[in-house]
Amino acid sequence: MVLKETLKYFAEQARNDFSAAEENLHKIILELKASENKGLNYIETYDEENVRAQLAQLKSREKKGRLFGVPITVKDAICVKGVESKAGSKILAGYKPQFDATVITKLKEEGAIILAKTTQDEFGFGTFSTNTEKVPKNPFDNERSCGGSSGGPAGFTAYTSRYHGALGESTGGSIACPSSFCGVTSLTPTYGLVSRYGLIDYANSMDKVGSVGRNIDDASLLLEIISGKDEKDSTNLGEEFIADEGPTQKVAIIKDFFDNCDDSVKKVVQAKIDKMKEFIQVDEIELPLNIKYSLAAYYIIATSEASTNLAKLSGLRYGKQSDPEGKHFDEYFSEIRSESFTEEAKRRIILGTFARMSGFRDAYYLKAMKVRTKLINEFKSAFSKYDLLLTPTMPIVAPKFDAIEQLTPLQNYAMDLCTVPANLAGLPHASCNAGMHNGLPVGLMAIAPHLGEPRLYSFGRIMEMK
Amino acid sequence: MMEDNVMIGLEIHAYLNTKSKLFCSCGTKVEEAEPNSLCCPLCLGHPGSKPVLNEKAVELAIKIGYALNCEINKDFFFSRKTYFYPDMSANYQITQYEVPVCGKGSLKLNDGKKIGITRAHLEADPAALTHPDGIGKSSHTLIDYNRSGMPLIEMVTDPDLISAKEAREFLRTLENILSYLDVLKPNTTMKVDCNISINGGNRVEIKNVSGFAAAEKALNYELARQKQDVRAGKKIEQHTRMFNADTGKTIEARKKETEEDYGYIFDPDLVSVSMGAGELQRIKEDMPELPQQKSIRFQKSHGINEYDATVLCSEKALGDLFESLVDKYADAKITAKLLTRELLAILNHDSLEFADVKLDVNKLFDLIVLSKEGKVSDKNVKQAMINYISGDKSSPKEYLEKNNMLISEEIDLNEVVAKIFEENSNAIDEYKNGNEKVMNFLAGLVMRETKGAVSPTKVQELLKLKLEK
Repeated sequence: MVLKETLKYFAEQARNDFSAAEENLHKIILELKASENKGLNYIETYDEENVRAQLAQLKSREKKGRLFGVPITVKDAICVKGVESKAGSKILAGYKPQFDATVITKLKEEGAIILAKTTQDEFGFGTFSTNTEKVPKNPFDNERSCGGSSGGPAGFTAYTSRYHGALGESTGGSIACPSSFCGVTSLTPTYGLVSRYGLIDYANSMDKVGSVGRNIDDASLLLEIISGKDEKDSTNLGEEFIADEGPTQKVAIIKDFFDNCDDSVKKVVQAKIDKMKEFIQVDEIELPLNIKYSLAAYYIIATSEASTNLAKLSGLRYGKQSDPEGKHFDEYFSEIRSESFTEEAKRRIILGTFARMSGFRDAYYLKAMKVRTKLINEFKSAFSKYDLLLTPTMPIVAPKFDAIEQLTPLQNYAMDLCTVPANLAGLPHASCNAGMHNGLPVGLMAIAPHLGEPRLYSFGRIMEMK
Repeated sequence: MMEDNVMIGLEIHAYLNTKSKLFCSCGTKVEEAEPNSLCCPLCLGHPGSKPVLNEKAVELAIKIGYALNCEINKDFFFSRKTYFYPDMSANYQITQYEVPVCGKGSLKLNDGKKIGITRAHLEADPAALTHPDGIGKSSHTLIDYNRSGMPLIEMVTDPDLISAKEAREFLRTLENILSYLDVLKPNTTMKVDCNISINGGNRVEIKNVSGFAAAEKALNYELARQKQDVRAGKKIEQHTRMFNADTGKTIEARKKETEEDYGYIFDPDLVSVSMGAGELQRIKEDMPELPQQKSIRFQKSHGINEYDATVLCSEKALGDLFESLVDKYADAKITAKLLTRELLAILNHDSLEFADVKLDVNKLFDLIVLSKEGKVSDKNVKQAMINYISGDKSSPKEYLEKNNMLISEEIDLNEVVAKIFEENSNAIDEYKNGNEKVMNFLAGLVMRETKGAVSPTKVQELLKLKLEK
């Protein structure tokens, strides 16, 4: 049975009657513009002419595709040919990639319309999408954050009432976190399942493009389409995801993670789990190594990689430029970098450069790489007993912007406690809405072993049972 | 005075002969291309681009490893070496750090000395900077990204070399092996970084020396400079110098960073490479004959001595020339002699490289036949070669014929000898008084008189007969 509210249903309608695609697109454009007028800031780049041209092309197309006429918004960090793609950073202003990311090619092949680039923390550096110029606002409460770093994709998915899907990108939890805060469903795949070709890097050994939708069917359909072999990305696994039921008989909640959450979050999550217990067995498990070391290992590895990725941004060949007259090249790029990067980007460059520099590399970078292996092994042994591990996605509900300002960098990084371990280990995870607390969504996250995405699909179906 | 204890280690960079660059599908014929026409988003460091390893480059690197007796690491990976410089599109270079494709090895010089190979690794070349009005004089610098991502092999030696001359000898030997392997991009020069220290002092690195002659020159200059400093009581600081090929001097560039200062991380865009045993075996089986093997074969199948065989194999083209001559049934010993003595002596004398001269196999063959048949003296063989190499269009044979330098049956040797005796009666007396050297003197006169167109053996015989009569 194809549910009426799913993209699968809509694409079928649109294939039979093109006016369905036209009408949906027309209405979602109106919503997009309204959100911009209200200053909700989900949209980084939108080019109506380009969107209308895509629609016109679809009309005369022979092969229709599984996403025929479906508008998709994509996180700014994903390259779209000829469309400004700046990963939320001023330094990439004006950078129009000469190529489509593989995920974009795949979406276009299936008849999707790339509607807009959505807002995010600069390069994915953040938990609240506040480390950028255009800060998206939570549709449930505009004084609160959408979460981050994929705040725009999740925020717009929650905001729009039309058929739509979104692509996000996660390095340490950047898809799950905003999904939780915005009450939408997301799938963050196994590292390497989805091609990173055309993704503007944060930390390449952890970056994953994933899907955001209104329900598990939509998120799964998008993931099916964007997953698969790609020779342009050396870290690609060559595997394909098919939305099929996977085992979910034995699950366990990660107690260490659960205990670290706000009571409001615990309450909603506990209630949902109690309900799930009608169908499946839910145990408790502890991951003592992960709770203790994953954040530290994550921030060392992620910033080490990020600090090398960002080195290329020097105002020389693309992005922001200034007058080089009379400046030595290092003065020139230092000036551009100093002006353009946010405080958080600078912090991560400094942290990452420190962690890999002479005299500290062994103690930090190499140590963190070794720790990572141990953390993966801790997960592996947990998966020898359980099909899925559960945790609240975020320890809090969407916070107010003024509260975020009060956080120290360390408190800020600690917010990623529940999402970082799975990301560091390259494990697939889904975040689904577990319920509301004071009108704000609370997310429940399931983590599966490598390539265990079908289990997440089944988990999503269980979560959505009325 | 005590001999200085000199330690020299070399880092040699050479372009591998692949169709595409190391991490993208851009072509490598940069010498034929307009600036910035052979580059893609990866070469330009565009965000979103990703590297994909060229497997052919790995194969060539492993061949080099086998030829240098290296341990091949069947699992290896790539790292990012970070430093900011405008020729580096990503401001990091993809190279190998902890585990290179080729580990420890060694290379034997002609005199039998073994030079240790520390490692050989793959890396991507940065772009090329051009200064339209010369370095230091241009108002601006241009960047050509065609070179960005070109596949380089870097071969590093242990500090086993003890003189500039030995360093050059090593480089020659290495180049020869690499040309046998046919793995380097044609018409490119190897770049050498030279590390040198004396008497256990600090190491000074001379960067970016192009070619072998320059390496020898740079090292000689640097040795002299360091010795002078040491004699003057100055301490040598560890630092980097640049070689100026025009002045032949080295100039202080900067205090040397150590390798660790480059903040290496594993390149997370690439996965570690695992070479299967079958794949390695296939590469091994595909190895061509190397100089040492060829030398042994020459000795065995052509009966030439070890010295001649070694010399013939010390330059691939020379060995090839020898083979094509003996394939035409030229006498192996005469051929070897012609190439290793006459030819190389002329080249040395004129400071020419073998590659500088064009030699026609058929023309050389004719000369060897004349020599074999006893129709030309060794001296005239040499003279004909000198003339031929100097660029004369006529063949050695034609030259010999034209100048009546072939051994002629028509010359009446008796008559010539009689004439010489007549003119040198003193000499005959001296001989009779026991000065045997006179014989050679007289023979020389006969040869000159006949322009060498008589058999030297016959002259000797006849002279002896007459003198002892």
